Order: sequence, then C-alpha cells, then structure tokens
Amino acid sequence: MQWLYLAIADIFEIVVAIAAGKAEGFKNRKWTGITLVSGALGTYFLSRALLTFDVGVGYAIWTSIAGVGITVLGVLLFGQHLNWRKALGIVVIIAGVVGLQLSGAA
Amino acid sequence: MSHTDRSSANSWLMLLLAGVFEVGYALSVGGSHGFTRLSWSLVAVVFFLLTLWALSVALRTIDVSIGYAVWAGIGAAGAALLGPVFFDETLTAVQALWLGVIIIGVVWLKLADRPENTPEPATRPQDTEGLVSGPKEAHGAQR
Repeated sequence: MQWLYLAIADIFEIVVAIAAGKAEGFKNRKWTGITLVSGALGTYFLSRALLTFDVGVGYAIWTSIAGVGITVLGVLLFGQHLNWRKALGIVVIIAGVVGLQLSGAA
Repeated sequence: MSHTDRSSANSWLMLLLAGVFEVGYALSVGGSHGFTRLSWSLVAVVFFLLTLWALSVALRTIDVSIGYAVWAGIGAAGAALLGPVFFDETLTAVQALWLGVIIIGVVWLKLADRPENTPEPATRPQDTEGLVSGPKEAHGAQR
C-alpha cells in the first residue's frame, strides 16, 4: 500500500513541477492555485507513505521518481530529447530504488 | 560588479536555505503521521510554503537545472541523515549505500535536464557596457 501512496504522491509532485514553472513567480493565479493544491495533495499522500517507509528512504524514492517522471514527460510531451546523460540518471535512480527494495530497506 | 557578486551570493544563500527548508518539510511530513498530529502538520505546511518561496527566489538568478540539483540533493541527503535523529529509525550501511546511489542519480538527472536549444551567449554586450559606463546598475534578482 505504501508504494501506491508514493506513486499517487509522485503524480501530484510532477504536476507541481509543471504548474510551478507556468506560475511565473506565482503571479499567475490559476497556475499558482494548481501548484498549491497539487502540492497539498502530494504532501498528504507522501505522509501516508511515510507511515510505513522511513523518512529518508520514502522521501528519496519519492523525489527521485518524480524527477524521472518529469524527465520522461519532458521527452514524451514537451519535445525534449532523451540524451545519454538523462538516460544514465534514470538508470542510476531506478537501480538505487530497486537496490533499496531488494536489500529490504524499503 | 560588487553588486552583482553580492546578489549572486544572496541567491546561493537562498538556495541553501531552500534545501534546509526542504529537509524540514520531509521530516515534518514524516512526523505528522499521515497528518494526524496537528503541530507537525502545521510545521509541514509552513515548510512547504517556505521551500517553494525560497527556491523560486533563488531560481530567478541561478540556472534552473543547477538550482534543482543542489536543492534536491540537500533535501534527500538531509532527510536520510536526520531521519534517525528525530525518529525511531535506523540508517544501516546498506540503506545508506543505496540512498547514496539514488541521491547521485537525482543530482545527475537534474544537471542533465538542461534546455538544449538555448546555447549560452558567448559575451553579453550589456555586461561590458556596464563595466565601462559604471553607474548603470543591474537590478540583481529583481527581474
């Protein structure tokens, strides 16, 4: 269940990243509102996940998977290129998360 | 010149502060126990707003990908190191190793996520102009 909570929290965090970029230093009310609401919902689901995960472990997985999601969406939706640097970063993060999980720490 | 240096130093200070706020956010969200504890929950909300504000101020002058990399790195490392201090948690060597891998991956990914189609201008004419004409002040973070 904690993985599901973390996944939901990640979706909201990705929305936060996109919305904060469009909020123009929080002058744009609509995108600022979306940033704050998504941030609140993401935070709530992160807190549910952290009932099971240790804080450091849950937070690191949450923020790193959000980073992967933002990069992948940038490639799929916003026409950015997937260069070897980004691909390597994604592989390293996934290896770290899987390693944590297999070692029984997550 | 010194004006620009100072505003740049201020931006980096603000970025470090944003990282510290993010650690506070992570710890208080964990301490809120699914937002069932009022005091931790309120602290979490305050840290959430502070980290968002400080990061947005810092990113007015610092390159976004570098800013995000530093901020995310401080947040994740801080949460991992301070979690066992504040809560009944243990950080084993194996855990620390894999967390280190994840944090390196996050920092690397943020650094790699630079916009490709905007090459940096080699020399910006207004900079040299400012040096020569002197009193024409750059307004630092105030974009």
